[in-house]
Amino acid sequence: MTLDIKKEGEKTLATLSGRIDTTNAAQFQEAIAPLMQEKDIEIDCSAMEYTSSQGLRVFLMLQKAVSAAGGKMVLRNMQPQVKEVFDITGFSNIIKIA
Amino acid sequence: MIKRFEPIEGRNAEIIESLMASPEVAGLSDELKFKIRLCVEEVEENILCYSGTTWVEVWASVSDGVLEIGFRDGGVEFDPLAKPDPDITARLEERQIGGLGIFICKQMMDVLNYRFENSCNIFTMSKKIA
Repeated sequence: MTLDIKKEGEKTLATLSGRIDTTNAAQFQEAIAPLMQEKDIEIDCSAMEYTSSQGLRVFLMLQKAVSAAGGKMVLRNMQPQVKEVFDITGFSNIIKIA
Repeated sequence: MIKRFEPIEGRNAEIIESLMASPEVAGLSDELKFKIRLCVEEVEENILCYSGTTWVEVWASVSDGVLEIGFRDGGVEFDPLAKPDPDITARLEERQIGGLGIFICKQMMDVLNYRFENSCNIFTMSKKIA
């Protein structure tokens, strides 16, 4: 799993790639820490191959922090099978996926 | 295929890979393998978190076009199916993360089964593959 983050004006653009599972969910949680303070986040998920519920937990934590701070976040270009995990758990209703 | 792991601490990935590499699973479509890997990981995580076992046996078998994945461990009695499903319609602020793993299994597999037998937790999940 890798998460690259860059700023473009007011926007924060992140690119997430690889797999998020039991073995690296803690690493993912550390990686998203800089995003928690941001107000306008886009995460490109096109190279994200897999997430387990451990990864969903981190996405939920991030979305809660961003929303609580009045910010917004969108996950883009998610692969269909990964999207299905967000769909069946209702995460598509609380996290914007475009 | 049946395989026993003891001890199991820190061997989550190894246990998952042994099931994924089994002849019953290895030849399936990528789409099916994605779902099976996810469900195996979620069950494994539950066993490691809650049962306190030092060993686990895992197996994969196919009968009449149905794949069964099974787990047997010697930990404390723990029925993951007894937990209520998470409220997936809850608003963001109220959304809880607990119980999500087994809920994913319920959605992605056809049948889940738990029993406590001879002081062992036995959990199976099956899915039609043909």
